Amino acid sequence: MKKHAALYWRNGLIIFAGVLSLPVMIVLAASVGDMPVSFATTAQAITNGLGITCIDVPAVEAGIIWQYRMSRAVMAACSGGGLALCGLVLQSLLRNPLADPYLLGISAGASTGAVCVMLLGIGSGAITTGAGAFTGACVAFSLIVVLSGGMRENASRIILAGIAGTQLFNALTSYIVSTAANAEQSRGVMFWLLGSLSGVRWTDAMLSLVVVAVGLLIVICYARSLDTFNVGTDVSATLGTRVMLVRTILLLTTALITAVIVSAIGAVGFVGLVIPHITRIIAGHRHLITIPVAFLAGGHFMILADLISRTLISHQVLPIGVVTALVGAPVFVLILYRNREK
Amino acid sequence: MKSASFLLMSTIFLFPLVSLAATDYPFTVENCGVKETFSHAPSRVVTIGQHETELMLVLGLDKKITGTAVWFGALPEELKQQGKSLKRLAENAPGFEAVAAQRPELVLAQYSWHIGPQGEVGTRQQFEQLGIKTWISPADCKAKTVTATSNGDGARSEPYSIDSIFDEITAMARIFDVAERGEALKHKLSERIEAVQKRDRIKGSSPLKVVYWFSSARLKGDPWVAGNKGAPGWISQTLGLSNIIDSDEEWPSVTWEYIVRAQPDIIVIADMDRRLYPADDVETKKRFLETDPVTREIPAVRQGHIAVVPAMSLNPSLRNVEAAELIGQQIHAFDQAR
Repeated sequence: MKKHAALYWRNGLIIFAGVLSLPVMIVLAASVGDMPVSFATTAQAITNGLGITCIDVPAVEAGIIWQYRMSRAVMAACSGGGLALCGLVLQSLLRNPLADPYLLGISAGASTGAVCVMLLGIGSGAITTGAGAFTGACVAFSLIVVLSGGMRENASRIILAGIAGTQLFNALTSYIVSTAANAEQSRGVMFWLLGSLSGVRWTDAMLSLVVVAVGLLIVICYARSLDTFNVGTDVSATLGTRVMLVRTILLLTTALITAVIVSAIGAVGFVGLVIPHITRIIAGHRHLITIPVAFLAGGHFMILADLISRTLISHQVLPIGVVTALVGAPVFVLILYRNREK
Repeated sequence: MKSASFLLMSTIFLFPLVSLAATDYPFTVENCGVKETFSHAPSRVVTIGQHETELMLVLGLDKKITGTAVWFGALPEELKQQGKSLKRLAENAPGFEAVAAQRPELVLAQYSWHIGPQGEVGTRQQFEQLGIKTWISPADCKAKTVTATSNGDGARSEPYSIDSIFDEITAMARIFDVAERGEALKHKLSERIEAVQKRDRIKGSSPLKVVYWFSSARLKGDPWVAGNKGAPGWISQTLGLSNIIDSDEEWPSVTWEYIVRAQPDIIVIADMDRRLYPADDVETKKRFLETDPVTREIPAVRQGHIAVVPAMSLNPSLRNVEAAELIGQQIHAFDQAR
């Protein structure tokens, strides 16, 4: 019992520290960039943006700090937290350590949707690429639900369906890009397949913030049900969980969060897969604890990854997906190795 | 009599006889590390890359083109009539067999990524095995490769100059035994370059700062802008402008923050038919520059110093001269409006 109490205290402290340090990280991220801006100016631009102060800051500096960097840092925190949350929920719900939005093909569907709007001019003008990505994510999600035969018992089927869906959507994206595009040197790999935080502005960041916050609340409400899913759906049914209903609500929530994030920053792998595992190693298996911890860990991780992607090569920005995997994979391997006997 | 012999002598010295003479077959030429020997002027040619297509047309060799591919946009006005019945194998990279099926004697490629060592269409060896000769624009292989830190557009270890295109004209003219047309073309281009320099070259101690915006993966995201060693580097040099992007890469992607910090006086934007990315459209690019809270503070945007040129003229090709002329004219117009 004493051990339990200590664990609660420790986890409570982790969450408390995370909640405090996330805004600090956001402000720190906003103070780094190609254009040197003094910390005082940065702080003034941020307080101006928040509507607390009304200090005279040069337009360029104010724009760069508030419009470019702050929106980007908030988006990074939301997307990292949101993806980690989705991964955690999917892994528990499907009782499969491999489940994450990237693997389930939702990200691939979003790419296809965005590319369709851009290249084929579907709904030309009326739909933005973001809306295209959102539609694509929803289509991919429905397809996977159908392919896996509804949301019945066999959870590994949904993973297989996800892999098939990912292949299908990536093939579709490549097909559209290689046949519909005019030949003016298609540069690099498609943005939607790699993910990038560049070009994020407040409209994207605010939408993600709202959706992720609502999603977080919903998931926290079902934290206890998720605990029972870990044991198996039969057990959770006997424990009084309405399996089908909870599953549907939670799957829809993850689909919505993923769709909003992917439509803003493209497909970013790794975060949704690995952060939940790291979280469980740190904070155990109770969802009331792991949900906020995974969210905060994902947010911190993504802000750091974005900082690295912006500063590793001067004047250039690496795709965020490259950094999350390059930095995250070795860390994950190390953690797995150190915990091999536990 | 004296003046007549003087005239004769100067003619001999001014026009290099070697390049004006009829080509002596078999004629061997070295191209991007590969030696090709021609026993006669090729009569069936496939072009992969619009620059090669245009070069063939300018040299009056349109009858020899049996297929074209990799189109970037419309042909320039003066070539439209000549090129109107050209067969298009593909807008983009054609398949190897589609090219081979034309039974070409020679395949001309603008870019090594189409028929280079990892060629998308095929390798030079693959074509060689079918008895098809190949040619890659020297501008794309001379001191240019995809490096570990560059993106797919590659980087240059030495700055590009229009001389690479001149060398290509000379070689083409010899391969097809049209030396006089080659010389005439080079002469005409040289005259145009000289005229641009005389008319539009910016004089003064501090050159105007310029940035060349090609497109962006997402409208508000990091733009692809010209590095300092590609064709835009040559254009800047010709016009006496200073490119704010000091990079060996052909088209690096940099942040708007970096561009704003450098405070460019002129922004050159590329006009293209491609609609792969949201920022491909010129009007969209302009609207972004004028409405974004940060970019609208750039001196070039505040003063409306935004020049538009065809995208193709910013990649190594005959059209670089056109880009220099167009940018020069537009800068002139900015000056007059002031």
